[in-house]
Amino acid sequence: MSKIKYFLEQSWLLIISAFCFGLLLAIANAAWSERIHQNEIYKLNELIVGLVNDANDFEIVIQDVNIPGGRGKITKTDIYRVLDVQRKTAGFAFVAVGSGFADKIKLVIAVDSKCEKFLGFDVLSSNETPGFGDKIKEDKFRDQFKGIAAGNLELIKAGEAKDSEVLAISGATVSSEAVVKIFNTYIGKIKEKLQTAGLNQ
Amino acid sequence: MASESTKSPILGQTFMAGIWRENPVFRLLLGMCPTLAVTAAVKPALTMGISVIFVLVCSNIVVSLMRDLLKPHLRILMFTLTIATFVTIADLFLKAFQPEMSETLGPYVPLIIVNCIIICRAEACASKNGLVVSIVDAVGMGVGFTLTLCVLAGIREILSTGAVWETPILPTGFVPWAAMRMPVGAFITLGLMLGLVNVVSRKKS
Repeated sequence: MSKIKYFLEQSWLLIISAFCFGLLLAIANAAWSERIHQNEIYKLNELIVGLVNDANDFEIVIQDVNIPGGRGKITKTDIYRVLDVQRKTAGFAFVAVGSGFADKIKLVIAVDSKCEKFLGFDVLSSNETPGFGDKIKEDKFRDQFKGIAAGNLELIKAGEAKDSEVLAISGATVSSEAVVKIFNTYIGKIKEKLQTAGLNQ
Repeated sequence: MASESTKSPILGQTFMAGIWRENPVFRLLLGMCPTLAVTAAVKPALTMGISVIFVLVCSNIVVSLMRDLLKPHLRILMFTLTIATFVTIADLFLKAFQPEMSETLGPYVPLIIVNCIIICRAEACASKNGLVVSIVDAVGMGVGFTLTLCVLAGIREILSTGAVWETPILPTGFVPWAAMRMPVGAFITLGLMLGLVNVVSRKKS
């Protein structure tokens, strides 16, 4: 009993403060989360349209695709069909998430209408090291993914990248590996889902 | 330096201490990480400065109000908890209302949690002084930090783009100094400014 009394004497302020601060954060989050989510949607729209040539509009065609990650973790994603002016399929896009060097990396990946080639990717959110890992956002790295076969990719640390190879960013191998790993984790399942639904014709 | 401000609770002096005599960047060399990282342009520098003012004022208010209840061995934990809460609020606010700026500043907004200026003022001022002095100290230090960031960012932005606040001010023939946008530009500008401040303060004394 005296131990509990001592514990409470020492830590009551910490416990009450933690509760109050938690409540404050919950209120702030509740007030602004909708707006933050909306901002993410605007950005997603912008990125998808930027990745696919002739993109005019897009719609969700398959919802909640289960992507098996490491250690039995399952993440869900939606597949978007990107439409051109004549409402024909110009490609598909999806949001892919994986662990980076510092935090989660959230990418938007686009593939062509037959899901045979990658059209490229853009970074929806990341907290990679400025000056190093954040170079995954630069065109020099991103352009390597444009037009390569939509299958498993391989990261090389030096030399010239061929076929399904991607050259890592010097000084940011972990971030480069993370991006390639995200591609490899998602593409198999996305391809399978598009084939099953008969969308990649 | 901190004890000096706590002994002289004259509000004007407390405020001015943060601007010049105890300027967090030029005199105390605190907050070097954002000073070097977000001063490539004035807009992100100002946003970072305002975020730091918000966190400093809020954390100083909370720490000052609970100063008599703080257990010595738990005080750093309490400071960190307080600071982290307000930094998270600032981060959420930027994500909601300034998404592009939030992206530009990247991890440097969450990193305000480990900015030494804030924990230093909580420890040196707010935990030993009343509410008014703590608020004035926070505003003074925050404004001092913001002004410093803006001056450094102004110099770097002019030299690297020929513009300030994205408004061109140098003649069209000006060749931008690309190095000023890079980390090397941040180090050189900070070093020269520190030297200048030392020369001025020596002459003054």
